[in-house]
Amino acid sequence: MIKTPLLSRLLSHAALVVLALFFLAPLIYILLSSFKPTEEIFAVPQSILPMNWTLDAYREIGGGRVGQYFRNTTVITLSSVILVVILSSLAGYGFAKLPFRGSNLVLLAIVGTLTIPLAILLVPIFLMANQVGLLSTNLGLILPNVAVTLPFAILIMRANFLSIPLEVEEAGIMDGAGTFTRWRLIMLPMARNGVVLVTIITSYNVWGEYILAKTLAMNPDSMPLSVGLTLLKGEVWDYGLLAAVIVLATLPPIIIFVFFQRKIVDGIAQGAVKG
Amino acid sequence: MSASSQAQTSVRSFTKSLSRRHPKGKKGRTVSSGFWFVLPAFIFIFIFMLYPLVAAGYLSLTEYNFVYDDEPKFIGLQNYADAFADPKFITSLINTFVFGFFYFVALMVLSLSIALLLFQKLRFNAFYRSAVFVPLVVPLSLAGLIFVWILQPNFGLLNYLIGDVLGMPSLTQPWLAQANTAMGGIIVLALWATIGFVTVLFLAGLQSIDKDVLEAADLDGATGLKKVFFVLLPNLRETYVLTATWGILQALKVFVEPMVMTDGGPGTSTLVLYQQVYITAFNFFDMGYASAMGYILGLIILVLIVLNFLLFRGKAGRDG
Repeated sequence: MIKTPLLSRLLSHAALVVLALFFLAPLIYILLSSFKPTEEIFAVPQSILPMNWTLDAYREIGGGRVGQYFRNTTVITLSSVILVVILSSLAGYGFAKLPFRGSNLVLLAIVGTLTIPLAILLVPIFLMANQVGLLSTNLGLILPNVAVTLPFAILIMRANFLSIPLEVEEAGIMDGAGTFTRWRLIMLPMARNGVVLVTIITSYNVWGEYILAKTLAMNPDSMPLSVGLTLLKGEVWDYGLLAAVIVLATLPPIIIFVFFQRKIVDGIAQGAVKG
Repeated sequence: MSASSQAQTSVRSFTKSLSRRHPKGKKGRTVSSGFWFVLPAFIFIFIFMLYPLVAAGYLSLTEYNFVYDDEPKFIGLQNYADAFADPKFITSLINTFVFGFFYFVALMVLSLSIALLLFQKLRFNAFYRSAVFVPLVVPLSLAGLIFVWILQPNFGLLNYLIGDVLGMPSLTQPWLAQANTAMGGIIVLALWATIGFVTVLFLAGLQSIDKDVLEAADLDGATGLKKVFFVLLPNLRETYVLTATWGILQALKVFVEPMVMTDGGPGTSTLVLYQQVYITAFNFFDMGYASAMGYILGLIILVLIVLNFLLFRGKAGRDG
């Protein structure tokens, strides 16, 4: 930490307030606009605060495709997160505590995938999905989302298992428990910080995932929010509805962030520094 | 849990089997069980990343229109040659570099500056940090829609602030309908969405600097900017390698922002390479050509990441 004199402290505060405004203003603006009646949204000059607060925009959501978009996003996110948590905590344990011949090479390949832009993979993934009939299905988005979010999740879980001292497992070994039992009963509970972090990060990534969905969900009924809403823009320019849906779609990740922010920020920083 | 003393030996041999020097110790089976733990995850990564990587490499050497052709036809490096004679590809490549350059430089400078601001003992520090970080959890495509709205010429927030609040109506613009300001809008959205992440990484780097180094600097009377340039920055080299690698990746695989905000327009002024790959593959179904352009993008990213790594790792090594 730097100790600084009063004047530069004041300047720092000024700069940080401006920055905080820049980052928060768009979100606050959409939140306020979602409570405006349509004529206020299009009013020139506008008033930033709604003059007549209304929930009309939220009432409009009920019908139509938006409900379907929400369902798709929820199903895809929940399923992907469950799969990623299970698979990454198994693999992370394997890499951290049970190295096998070639495990470093496999780990390197997995880390390497982090630098591959999805653009390269889209065509073969599309062709595969087309061949097995997974285009425009939720499962067809769950599977590649799991694959794409796994590498980082594995790194987080590996770091967590590595930091658990060997002695912890000894009790289990003395009981003659097999590796799988030790993983499930002893190691996994010890690595719960990692599990929480993987759950949160994976939810964010899948909840807002755009590229795979844009490519693989061709039928509007199968689209998640991230892609479906961008169509809303083209259809009617119904800004009130748009604002309300954006608020609802953004609220879950923001609430999770508010509750877990220490864990998330520290976790990402540590994972990145160690990794 | 009961502990029996005769198990001590098995513990010791287990410990031994864990050390990487003896992967084929007496407890060989314990060691190879790691393989079964990794396998399920690896299958996913293989099917959806490693195999497609190879498949795209092959497709990039073929002519394959998904609608007309029954099978990919091998044509060697023709697609790569075609790409560099294709004005649309060149335009999208240039646009990607323009975006990438401004985005990357601004990302590094701003994130580092914010991290340095947050590194002070200030009140409301936790609030500032959260405010900077929060855009990261907002789905990017939805953030794009929010920015489209804010930049809308008639009832958008930005023109309202400039024209009516600040009273300078001559400076209002149709932001997304002009080439330069459209690219600017895309860059600002990308920065808005990602500065928080890089700031957190820089902050973690600053916090991991040895306390003794900081105290010694204080004793030597290094203050303010002097301290920043001569003490803090040289100690951030490793963090920089990390953040720059991430920044290069983000900069060159820009896609969602122009897709949602401008559709590459006006004209082709914000058409980026990633978008061109997508359009070629899924609007024109030219799978072979799209794969080749995707590979070119991947190679550019790889070269820049390796260069960045060599440049800054090398220096860190020389300085000890």
